[in-house]
Amino acid sequence: MTRWGMVIDLDRCTGCLACEVACKSENNIPTVSPGQAEIGRAMSWMTVVTEIEGDFPDTAMRFYPRPCMHCDNPPCTKVCPVEATYISDEGIVGQIYPRCIGCRYCANACPYVVKYFNWYGPEWAESERRHLNPDVSVRPKGVIEKCTFCHHRLQKAREAARADGRPLREEDYQPACAEVCPTEAIVFGDLDNPEHRVAQLAEESRAMRIMEELGTEPKVYYLASRE
Amino acid sequence: MRHGVAERFARLSPDEQTLLRPLVETSRGFYLAAAVLGAITLWGAFAYYLQVRYGLGRTGLNRPEYWGIYIICFVFFIGISHAGTLISAILRISQAEWRRAITRSAEFITVLVLGFGAIQPIIDLGRPDRVLNVILHAQGLSPLLWDVVSIGVYFTASSIYLYVPMLPDLAIIRDSGIKAPRLYRLLAAGYQHTPEQRRRLERVIGVLAIAVIPVAVSVHTIIGWIFAMTLRPMWHSTIFGPYFVMGAIYSGIAALLVAMVVLRRVYHLEDYFKPVHFDYMGRLLLIFSLLWFYFTFAEYLTAFYGGEPAEMRALWAKLAGPFAIPFWTMVAGCFFIPLILMWRRSTRTPAGTLVAGVAVLIGMWLERFNIVVPTSVNPRWEFEGIGRYAPSWIELSIMAATFSGFILLYMVATKFFPIVSIWEMKEGREESVQEVAERVAGYLPGAPSVAAAEAGDE
Amino acid sequence: MSPTRREFFWTASAAAAAVAFQGVPEVLWPQDQDGYEGWEPGLEEARASTCLLCPARCGIRGRLVDGRLVGIAGNPLHPMSRGGICPRGIAGVQVLYHPQRLTGPIVRDGPRGSGQWRQVTRDEALALIAERLKGLRAADRPEALALLAGYCAGSVEDVWRQFLTAFGSPNYIADDYRDGTDGVMALMHGVERRPSYDLGHSELVLSFGAPLFEAWWSPLQAFVGFAHPESDETRRSRFIQVDTRFSRTAARAHEWVGVRPGTHAVLALGIAYVLIRDELLELDFIAERVSGFEDFTDVEGQLQEGYRSIVSRNFRTEEVSAITGVPVERITSLARTYAESPAAVAICGSDVTAAPNGLLAGMAVHSVNVITANLNRPGGVLLGDDLPLAPLAPLVLDDTARRGLDRERVAGPLPAFGAGGQRDRFAEAIVGSAAAQVEVLFLYYSNPIASSVAPDVWREALEMIDYVVSFSPFLDETTRHADLVLPDLLPYERWQDAPTPQSYPYPVWGLAQPLVAPHEGGTHTIDAVLEIARALGGGVREALPYDGVETLLRERARGLFAARRGMTFRSDFESRHYEQMESRGWWLPQHTEFDEFWDALTERGGWTDLFYDHTDPGRLARTSDGRVQLMPPGLPVVLDAQGRPRRPYIDVGSRGVAPTDGFPLRLVPYRVSTLASGSLALERWLAEKPGLFPEVHWDPWVEVNPATARSLGLEDDTQVWVESSRGRYRARLKLFLGAPPDHVCAPYGLRHPDGEIANPLSVLDGSIDPLTGVQSWSTTFVRLQRV
Ligand SMILES: Nc1nc2c(c(=O)[nH]1)N[C@H]1C(S)=C(S)[C@@H](COP(=O)(O)OP(=O)(O)OC[C@H]3O[C@@H](n4cnc5c(=O)[nH]c(N)nc54)[C@H](O)[C@@H]3O)O[C@H]1N2
Ligand SMILES: Nc1nc2c(c(=O)[nH]1)N[C@H]1C(S)=C(S)[C@@H](COP(=O)(O)OP(=O)(O)OC[C@H]3O[C@@H](n4cnc5c(=O)[nH]c(N)nc54)[C@H](O)[C@@H]3O)O[C@H]1N2
Ligand code: SF4
Ligand code: SF4
Ligand code: SF4
Ligand code: SF4
Ligand code: SF4
Ligand SMILES: [Mo]
Repeated sequence: MTRWGMVIDLDRCTGCLACEVACKSENNIPTVSPGQAEIGRAMSWMTVVTEIEGDFPDTAMRFYPRPCMHCDNPPCTKVCPVEATYISDEGIVGQIYPRCIGCRYCANACPYVVKYFNWYGPEWAESERRHLNPDVSVRPKGVIEKCTFCHHRLQKAREAARADGRPLREEDYQPACAEVCPTEAIVFGDLDNPEHRVAQLAEESRAMRIMEELGTEPKVYYLASRE
Repeated sequence: MRHGVAERFARLSPDEQTLLRPLVETSRGFYLAAAVLGAITLWGAFAYYLQVRYGLGRTGLNRPEYWGIYIICFVFFIGISHAGTLISAILRISQAEWRRAITRSAEFITVLVLGFGAIQPIIDLGRPDRVLNVILHAQGLSPLLWDVVSIGVYFTASSIYLYVPMLPDLAIIRDSGIKAPRLYRLLAAGYQHTPEQRRRLERVIGVLAIAVIPVAVSVHTIIGWIFAMTLRPMWHSTIFGPYFVMGAIYSGIAALLVAMVVLRRVYHLEDYFKPVHFDYMGRLLLIFSLLWFYFTFAEYLTAFYGGEPAEMRALWAKLAGPFAIPFWTMVAGCFFIPLILMWRRSTRTPAGTLVAGVAVLIGMWLERFNIVVPTSVNPRWEFEGIGRYAPSWIELSIMAATFSGFILLYMVATKFFPIVSIWEMKEGREESVQEVAERVAGYLPGAPSVAAAEAGDE
Repeated sequence: MSPTRREFFWTASAAAAAVAFQGVPEVLWPQDQDGYEGWEPGLEEARASTCLLCPARCGIRGRLVDGRLVGIAGNPLHPMSRGGICPRGIAGVQVLYHPQRLTGPIVRDGPRGSGQWRQVTRDEALALIAERLKGLRAADRPEALALLAGYCAGSVEDVWRQFLTAFGSPNYIADDYRDGTDGVMALMHGVERRPSYDLGHSELVLSFGAPLFEAWWSPLQAFVGFAHPESDETRRSRFIQVDTRFSRTAARAHEWVGVRPGTHAVLALGIAYVLIRDELLELDFIAERVSGFEDFTDVEGQLQEGYRSIVSRNFRTEEVSAITGVPVERITSLARTYAESPAAVAICGSDVTAAPNGLLAGMAVHSVNVITANLNRPGGVLLGDDLPLAPLAPLVLDDTARRGLDRERVAGPLPAFGAGGQRDRFAEAIVGSAAAQVEVLFLYYSNPIASSVAPDVWREALEMIDYVVSFSPFLDETTRHADLVLPDLLPYERWQDAPTPQSYPYPVWGLAQPLVAPHEGGTHTIDAVLEIARALGGGVREALPYDGVETLLRERARGLFAARRGMTFRSDFESRHYEQMESRGWWLPQHTEFDEFWDALTERGGWTDLFYDHTDPGRLARTSDGRVQLMPPGLPVVLDAQGRPRRPYIDVGSRGVAPTDGFPLRLVPYRVSTLASGSLALERWLAEKPGLFPEVHWDPWVEVNPATARSLGLEDDTQVWVESSRGRYRARLKLFLGAPPDHVCAPYGLRHPDGEIANPLSVLDGSIDPLTGVQSWSTTFVRLQRV
């Protein structure tokens, strides 16, 4: 059984933000006006969260790139009254934009606050529409959106593999953030496939998950050497 | 009052005259008030139009503050709606005779406020145009869906529960012919005061009274669960079901008290809403203020004692943080003020209860605020930033419109239906007095067989 | 908006609708659909190119759908960036499709900076320029043409230089990355090129304030060095960051050594002291290849102290510790770690060299590499060589040109060891002298009003220049003062060669090529130059006999084809294979035909040669005595001339730099990694979140230590004026635990949402290192005032 998951190595992450921007470019995530951003309406399916502790000169800082955790036991899907957010049989938690009624219950249910709401419709200048990725729909106003593990890439990879009549390879399906990360901090693959690096890395002693105690069973693991 | 109507009106009994006067006489004050409230309501509707047209961005909501004023009002109004049906049902079953004068006004509150509560979540939707998806794509595990169902049932039940006991009065109006004959003929549905009909009526009311209680309880329990089913600090709590029900009844009683004082004043119902009513209701309020304190204290103590970091952030935000003012105002409004006022009989007067009632209403609205907002802005993950929330004028207008709309509708209702049950007063006068005497006698030693008393009860 | 009657009607119905549980008609959702239809999946392709947004020049791969550039990712074949890419590069699509890009050539139509323009055709524009230039040559004043050019290393720079020289103007003003390290290499190695770092093979990287992961020559080179080999954490090289502030680089490095501002070099010499004391030196190497280590007699026959004596006498660990604030044990352990690791390297960052005595400080840092022989060996400092490109057509200088070139440069003679600070000296000279020395100014990739240390001087200077031509595709702050704008094509539309910066040891000829059809209103600036050259005729025409950039690049590539070395980009594995072969003296041609070669070149993204001959001593030093000179004889002469102590190394600490009264806080300007100079404002995704403060969007900020802020009575998020004796700018105060107390860490390159520039460099005290001309970014003191 396939379980798509991600491992992020915090000892490699330099907080460069490439993953954030790659995600925005891949998934047609609009910017909002400065005023809107100021009151917390900026969208970023992937967000690099910083943990900083200790006053100068004993400061330590760590960067947590945070996509949707694609919980195996997702609190968000349960509460959706119209099943506009769901978990696929390969463990990807997705959104059905045309069905979402915009109640934001799932957003409140998500302990990782990775759901973003379209308070207004997206605004792209005429010229900017040319760089929109046709594989990903542009969300209308009033619906919830979030990291999808770039599952449109999975669909394409599947088709391609089927076309050449071969099985899906690990490198065939890589989300945008993992693809661009310059320090290979993000590793993506099938957690149930011992061949895949994620499966091996998730077993490492450095591996941990955010708020594991909640029993949400996140499929995003973090590697961190404990100082 | 037109001439024909006047003389017909003159023929009515004193009870009927006082209680039906609002149906035939309307003061200029009424029109004035109606105009003002109507304007506010329209303004709110306009605000909502803007919100729909341009998006929820017109509110002050954001991430992680996903829910605000609308959800607060939702919980608040549905809470109020526990005033009528639940209270009157309990009083009926417990055969509290003093209920007769007040049940009707209470039941009206329920039915009207329920509607206004129920639209709040829809106003809060990003895509109201898709609201029907809730039925088309119903997802049974969502507490939101349970809520839709229970509110639906509750609304139907309490409408019937309002309507059925009103039949005899509607018949009286029809017979008196003082107003819209055709309308009342329709409404009265051929009720003729025959003993047979009366017996059936009583039985139906009896059944409804019992049936409606669990429904009412379920409604606010589920609203509590909407929050409790999430893993968020200070929401994820088993006490929320009962806590919300208790709070609902509490705010319901307060709302009822306020309504009574006002009705008493504008429609000169001094002989119907007597000091004793305020005294008794006041005691109820007192009991609930203590209950409220007990529940709230339990809730916060467990959170505090557990000392879980995320919970503590939300907790301190309320106790001593940015939400200290709403929090302590709530405590004053829901506990100290009613406690002090309702403690002594001397202040369980209309005036006293009015003050206490208003205090409790404000307090309970703030309680909803203190549940929704502080948790929303304090996400569980420590590295996630803390949010902020300032409601926009759109939200405030819509809230104002909800209040004004409800009051307006309530006012209008008093123009079509007697706000105190005529026949129940009559029944009280003609039967209950001696019936109660017998019943009481029946409780005492050396009395005629209890069976007789029971029979008397029938 | 105010309610109209119609809206009131709507109101009623909308409200009714809502109350009636019917929701609201779809009519009310116009913006959902419109505009996003009609781009259902189309013809897809992926094409290689090179990112031109900063000097690193990473390999990229553009994803094209029906000819639209819908995504940019790294090119796995590029030897330096290895498929990695930074956020600026990814957001390039927003530069390409920026709504404010100029749609065609415009000429001023009203007073300067009035914002009134008139559209003209490309040919008209070119004619106007040519006419002006003809005029200059006719008047025998070719030197009155000046070019202000940003970073454009490669054929673009070569063409510009060839053009100006053939035209007869010595006024090529480079406005690019000048970190002074080329001066260090020139002095100590006699080689006019910046040090190259073989990070791929280093086991210990000791960085003195080089923001490796932020704004270094090539962040990607650093990332790759940091992260490879992919698996096996144990074999990865160890990074130690010496830095004033707790930078992002310091945060991720394995170790961070916090030093007082401007004392990096002192720490370096403290380490050298321990190495000498504990005999952790490569004495044979020093004996054979280094001069100036021991005491020596100079040309005047006087006995001079050598490096050993100077360091041993002046940099005892206790003193160093006192100056730098680094504990003695730490200094010792750093030295040991450094000496023990077989492949270590000390990197000299621009925060070392951007100081009043930057050159000497840079020498001090580099000396650590010299005495441990981490030179010319794997993982150390290499002295790379130039690309074997075919040269441009031979220069033909006519008399006009000769006369022009003999006249003095407006910015005056270059500093002794470098070419820093040219831009501002140029402007000052123009403002300073009455005689209009410059009549025509070309602006290429340069926006001094936004980025200069002295924006006002620049405004004045522009007023005094007759004719300002900008080639910027955007109406940036300086371009607004131009008389004519001939918008360049954008990076993804044009041909350009993009060699990796010299920090990367192996020659790489990245190729940027059109991924999308060029904008009809744009003109490749170099095409324009070639056309103008043709129009001017004479020597200028003969010097640039190319009909376009593409042909020019093809011509130059013939050099690579003929070089009998290197290869077009290959996968990791193949590359290693080729390197092996070359190291054994083999080389197999992969292409028999040049056209084949060119196709491979364009398809894979470029050419490289990963073989470096570590055994070739010739690379190491081209000095008078053929050795690496710790005591360059040229230096004392210059120092004397400037009346400074004639020996290097001694006063490298920025002593004497102290707060003046009223300005208690030290300004620490730094470049945010999301900034591709100048273009940040163009990339909205980055402008929305320029740094790691989640709540800062579109908003310039400064970082201050919480304790310091408290003592100033300022709290988080207040808008403050950052005020120095030279000026002030507005920013948002952020509390940051990693900021040194009494310092203000100020990211530069940011703009306010309304476009107002917030440039810490504009308040700098303006002091420079006279040896290199490099501005000192480290010596300014400021105060903070609530707005
Ligand atoms: N505020 C601020 N000041 C700075 C710096 C900073 O980062 N911020 N950096 C300092 C340093 S280190 C340097 S080197 C200088 C660099 O600063 P500048 O020399 O000003 O160079 P940039 O700002 O990178 O780019 C200048 C202009 O090039 C134009 N441009 C963009 N794309 C193209 C193109 O494709 N073709 C052409 N012809 N023009 C284009 C843009 O309009 C941009 O405004 O500034 C120094 N001062
Ligand atoms: N991301 C990115 N990278 C780039 C560029 C780009 O546009 N974007 N442009 C390139 C160009 S043109 C340039 S010039 C370079 C700029 O790159 P750098 O020349 O490295 O400039 P900064 O990154 O600002 O580094 C300045 C450093 O000086 C340190 N510093 C500040 N004050 C003091 C002090 O008092 N004493 C000492 N010793 N150090 C101090 C700061 O901590 C900061 O780390 O980046 C190049 N690389
Ligand atoms: S791209 Fe990689 S290194 Fe950069 S922030 Fe994201 S995870 Fe960290
Ligand atoms: S992280 Fe949040 S949104 Fe993602 S699956 Fe888990 S609960 Fe749902
Ligand atoms: S916002 Fe959309 S996805 Fe989330 S719960 Fe409501 S309907 Fe479901
Ligand atoms: S997996 Fe795809 S959607 Fe999720 S964060 Fe990475 S790029 Fe964005
Ligand atoms: S580092 Fe410079 S060249 Fe490389 S991708 Fe980023 S901006 Fe482009
Ligand atoms: Mo630079």
